[in-house]
Amino acid sequence: MEQVESEDTKSFYADKLKRATHLLLFRRGKMPGAKEWELKEKVGKNYKQVLDQLNQILGELDLEVKKITEPATGDMAGEGRVLEAEEARYYVSLKGTLGLKEAKMIGWRIDNLAALGGAIAYLVSKQGKAPREDVEKVLAHKFGRWKATTLADIFLRTGYLEEDDAGVMALGWRTKSEVDLRALMTKMAETKL
Amino acid sequence: MLAAGRRELKEVIETCDAIEERKFNPFFLDVNLGVETLRQYFPHWEGFKDHCLDAHALNRLSEVVRLQNTQLKFQSTALYAEPEFVARKIERMSEKRLAEVFLQSWHPLTELEQLTQETVSASLDYWNLLLPIQERWKRREYARGKSPESTDSSVLDGLGIHGKEFAEQMTGLWKDLQQLYETEHKPIEYWRFVKGSTHQETVQRAYFVSFLVTYGYARLQTEAEMMSLVPNDQPSNKPTEGGISFPIPIPTPKEN
Repeated sequence: MEQVESEDTKSFYADKLKRATHLLLFRRGKMPGAKEWELKEKVGKNYKQVLDQLNQILGELDLEVKKITEPATGDMAGEGRVLEAEEARYYVSLKGTLGLKEAKMIGWRIDNLAALGGAIAYLVSKQGKAPREDVEKVLAHKFGRWKATTLADIFLRTGYLEEDDAGVMALGWRTKSEVDLRALMTKMAETKL
Repeated sequence: MLAAGRRELKEVIETCDAIEERKFNPFFLDVNLGVETLRQYFPHWEGFKDHCLDAHALNRLSEVVRLQNTQLKFQSTALYAEPEFVARKIERMSEKRLAEVFLQSWHPLTELEQLTQETVSASLDYWNLLLPIQERWKRREYARGKSPESTDSSVLDGLGIHGKEFAEQMTGLWKDLQQLYETEHKPIEYWRFVKGSTHQETVQRAYFVSFLVTYGYARLQTEAEMMSLVPNDQPSNKPTEGGISFPIPIPTPKEN
């Protein structure tokens, strides 16, 4: 009897699991992942159970389903205000971390990664916002003035940083989604020179 | 009295705006002193504009108080670190170590790119605009040379296209262009400016000039077959918006 129930549950989820996987992995718009309302509409009301199951499967592949939460504007200490259900977005990210060689293999240059880490750490120390010229100055000391400008443009284009009309840079959506800021700042503080 | 009051209120507003743009620490401004200034001039305001200025200043001051509150909360979290301390660490850590630290806190998104109507349309445009292969091979015959190979930073340093030396040479070239322009009061002919004593120097100068133009330090003007350069006094230091790629082949010494 238990065996039959288990089989039923498996087949019940199989189709929904596929649909949820497609929604989360295949990029359709500007941002990756799927909004909560999309999942509700296409997977069903029990989408959270489906995502739990998907998370278990992905866990074996060192991946996980994450929900984006966004800190309140300018409030780094706010530690992530949970968005309204309709606004929240789910996506799949790496559960563990990459090594230097792996990062190179997926197309990242070591100096670009170093610059990205530096720019993010500096912005966090400034509570998430700083004038672009300040960020570029910090990068220029390490990577040269010309490269600093190019790097800032790359980080803006890829969504790791944002810039407003007044030339103030802030952490972008991708940083908020991908980077464990607490871990980054702790590691920065721990590193001996 | 009224003029002095307006000036002081404008100064308060400007300081508050600078704080909001993160140019200063929120505690740079003594809010009590700001409120005291508003209180001092408030009884003298008569016109609508002056009252609006007063309300605006009060609004800006309240924003600074909010930022001070945020700063205090932020300082009590594990994320807090002095910006100067972080900047010093970034400067002193090796690139490899900095990248490793970042990688330990980075969990990149996983996504699969797929065909959409826009990407198909862009691809079609690409193929439709592409010249036939014979045409492209014809062009390549002129550019046939040594295949690209990898190099390291010491070689790049030697060539002067890496690190601080690169930035210095770039600034030097920009100043040369400015001086020449000030002397001649007309756009400087491209090839005359770029030409060096050796072919290698010419290539190097052309390479630097491409950066000057891309980042708004100079403008490249083309008239018929004549190309000329005009330096910008206030460079944007950002890639020019809406700029186009303009390849300039450099003839080898033989062709000269």
